[in-house]
Amino acid sequence: MKQHARSKSPAGAQRWARRLTARVEKVLAAHPAADPDNVRHTLILLEQPPLERLQRSLIRGRAAAIFKK
Amino acid sequence: MAVPLPFSKSELRLLRALLRHKVRFMVVGLSAATLQGAPVVTQDVDLWFEKLGEDSISRALMEVGAGYVPPSAHNPPMLAGAGAELFDIVIRMDGLGAFAEELTSCVEIPIGRYKLKVLALHRILARKMAANRPKDILTIPVLRDALAAIETCPQRAKRR
Repeated sequence: MKQHARSKSPAGAQRWARRLTARVEKVLAAHPAADPDNVRHTLILLEQPPLERLQRSLIRGRAAAIFKK
Repeated sequence: MAVPLPFSKSELRLLRALLRHKVRFMVVGLSAATLQGAPVVTQDVDLWFEKLGEDSISRALMEVGAGYVPPSAHNPPMLAGAGAELFDIVIRMDGLGAFAEELTSCVEIPIGRYKLKVLALHRILARKMAANRPKDILTIPVLRDALAAIETCPQRAKRR
């Protein structure tokens, strides 16, 4: 699985987190009713290729279904 | 490092066979939403075919050892056989236009040399709002917020 830029070094991780925070704030400024968690998770997922996003979603969806049983 | 595929070899073969036979279909539902960045989880991949039961579907499925099972009194139409387990057939798309109309705004996701057509996120939201079932209602705020994030920060979207 692709590694995030944020995991390469502590300084890089902080830069990535600051950029992410700024983007979340930008979205919330334009859409004040939006949930910050939903926005943040979307922005993180957009850094991944589409098929990897689906892969994660299926893994978590199936895991959730197993725990429900 | 190569991106892991969410599909097994047989699932990929099935999708490629449908695309090779020029079957008109698209990915819809939450799997389509997650392909576009929405933070939702799903257990299957919903497929919407323009014309269910057409010969090209049967030919494509037969080629990979799968088949189309028409609807019966108690079962919806389904795909069966090799690589078919992950995929569900969707027969009702409340709140949307005709297949051809929705195709014009769909997103394309490359799978090898083929491109998988995926219902656009704003249309998935429209469908969920129209369907209005409890499970759809739960996803509406997440899809709406994802759309807001994508529209405000479009440069973050990866097409790979």
